Amino acid sequence: MKRGPAWVWMIVAAGFLIIFFVSLILGSYRLSPKVVVRTILSPLFSSSREASAEVAHSIIFYIRLPRIFMAIIVGCALALSGASLQALFRNPLVNEYLLGLSSGAAFGAALSLVFFGPKIPVQISAFIFSLVAVLVVLSVSRSTGGSIVSLLLTGVIVSAFFSALLTVIEYLASPYALQALFFWLMGSFSLAGWREVAMTVPAIFIASFLLLLFRWRLNLLSLSEEEGRSLGINVRREKLLVIGLATLMTSVAVAAVGIIGWIGLIVPHLARMMVGADNRRVLPLTAVLGATILLAADDLARSLTSFEIPVGIFTSLIGIPLFIYLLKKSARIWLG
Amino acid sequence: MCPYFFEKREMREGRKGEKERDEEKKKEEKMYVSPFLIEVRGLEFSYNGFKLEVEALSFPAGKITAIIGPNGAGKTTLLKCLAGLLPIRRRTIFYDSQDIASLKEPVRARLIGYVPQEHSLAFNYSVLEFVVMGRAAHLSLFSLPSARDLEIARRSLEYVGLPSFARRTMSELSSGERRLVLIARSLAQETPVLLLDEPTTFLDLRHGQEILELVRRLTRERGKTIILTLHDINQAAHYADNLVLINEGQVVSSGLPGEVLSEELIEKVYGLKVSLVEIAGRRFILL
Repeated sequence: MKRGPAWVWMIVAAGFLIIFFVSLILGSYRLSPKVVVRTILSPLFSSSREASAEVAHSIIFYIRLPRIFMAIIVGCALALSGASLQALFRNPLVNEYLLGLSSGAAFGAALSLVFFGPKIPVQISAFIFSLVAVLVVLSVSRSTGGSIVSLLLTGVIVSAFFSALLTVIEYLASPYALQALFFWLMGSFSLAGWREVAMTVPAIFIASFLLLLFRWRLNLLSLSEEEGRSLGINVRREKLLVIGLATLMTSVAVAAVGIIGWIGLIVPHLARMMVGADNRRVLPLTAVLGATILLAADDLARSLTSFEIPVGIFTSLIGIPLFIYLLKKSARIWLG
Repeated sequence: MCPYFFEKREMREGRKGEKERDEEKKKEEKMYVSPFLIEVRGLEFSYNGFKLEVEALSFPAGKITAIIGPNGAGKTTLLKCLAGLLPIRRRTIFYDSQDIASLKEPVRARLIGYVPQEHSLAFNYSVLEFVVMGRAAHLSLFSLPSARDLEIARRSLEYVGLPSFARRTMSELSSGERRLVLIARSLAQETPVLLLDEPTTFLDLRHGQEILELVRRLTRERGKTIILTLHDINQAAHYADNLVLINEGQVVSSGLPGEVLSEELIEKVYGLKVSLVEIAGRRFILL
């Protein structure tokens, strides 16, 4: 058991605060740290504003802050859902992207965007189809013994299936809808405003809260089904609960900002390296690290070049090499 | 979210609930004392062409019963049926007249501890984190183990002789140590009944012996009812108070070791000529 959560938490909290502050400063419109601090504190002192302060105020409160909040919520959601799914599928390599969950959600969201409009909310449609995706993968992996190979293959196939369906939608969509769809699919926070944040927060907040309360039971779900039952766990019911919550978080996140892959793989691994395998410590740390890392990735995405790079590209650039490394290593890990 | 906040809360809860839980435990202990704790009546279970049929069988309370028989006789299947892990028909296995098939998971897990033979782990938990999982049946869905639960886990580790192992990780253990940790986890479950599937397989003589001595201590010191499967007949004859000999899914004989072990019966079941030798009041089987 790796100890020292006190210093781990101090470093992680400090990192989060620093990146939060840096995110407020970064952007195409230059704001000095001093101006940022003064603007952030201005509601407290309600001093009369000059014209330049007015600009800083609207940039910070209407453009940067909602975007930052969106990155925090989505990072937290994707990382927590990744950690829970890893326990559930009894495999540290699993993540929402590989299981086809993200593709299911993307298809559902696109379906709603292009055809249903406001009749069926994007989040609900995304949730339904990602649930379908994960249940298919779960049932196939159960019948094939749950090896990583069959799990990944099924995930790839389910992903491919939903991508094909998505192509059909793209084919049928009007040029205007297609442009919006394409932009959204690449995964970006650039459209996030307070309205989007408000639509995303409730579901993710409730699901994260429940998963955090449930975190010790995740340890038990990561044992074999028979062992779980012999220890007094209603395995099927509890797995369904976790799947429901993890899928809800992922699909709401995808509906809000498009597909951002690999966060659910990178972050829980980092957390386990810091505090060991026990989900009692891993889950809270995963939530904060997920927010921090996605926020940092978004900072890079919007400040590295003069135009904005979709943030999903950065997470993939870190996530895929890590996955390959872990896959090679997992052949050597002790598994009993 | 500071981790210390959780730790403090765990400790407070631990103190508060201690008395009530002790009283509850006393009640439970009273409930399960009976001359014949476990009874099997008309059990049938089949899968993949194999059929287990047990007309009537009983396991005495506070004793060690070993299930023996050749490979593929159905030892593990019978044990898993007794543990309530296989989908058996209702009203076929009774623990002190409670039907095992209609008990809810946590209730059953407070009654029966089960130590599996093989074990694989996807995440490298520490030994203490692993042992405390035995407390799940005593905790509600959204709660964390309290300081008291961790204390019970630590005491279980002490009891199996690994008090200094709490902080090691599971991957650092030898197979004998891992077996002991599995037993410690089911001790943390605090059940009156303990079932062990081939606890000595793949262990050398000394480690196998250590485990069986531990099993014996559990009946003598804690009054646990123990049922285990064994493939070594000599070990079974030495450590078990009762034997159940099964073959091809049928009980061939059950009772005291002296009654069950006869040259004819062993030849019939195993297809081997053996001779029974008595040395210092103990029976040994020689090929």
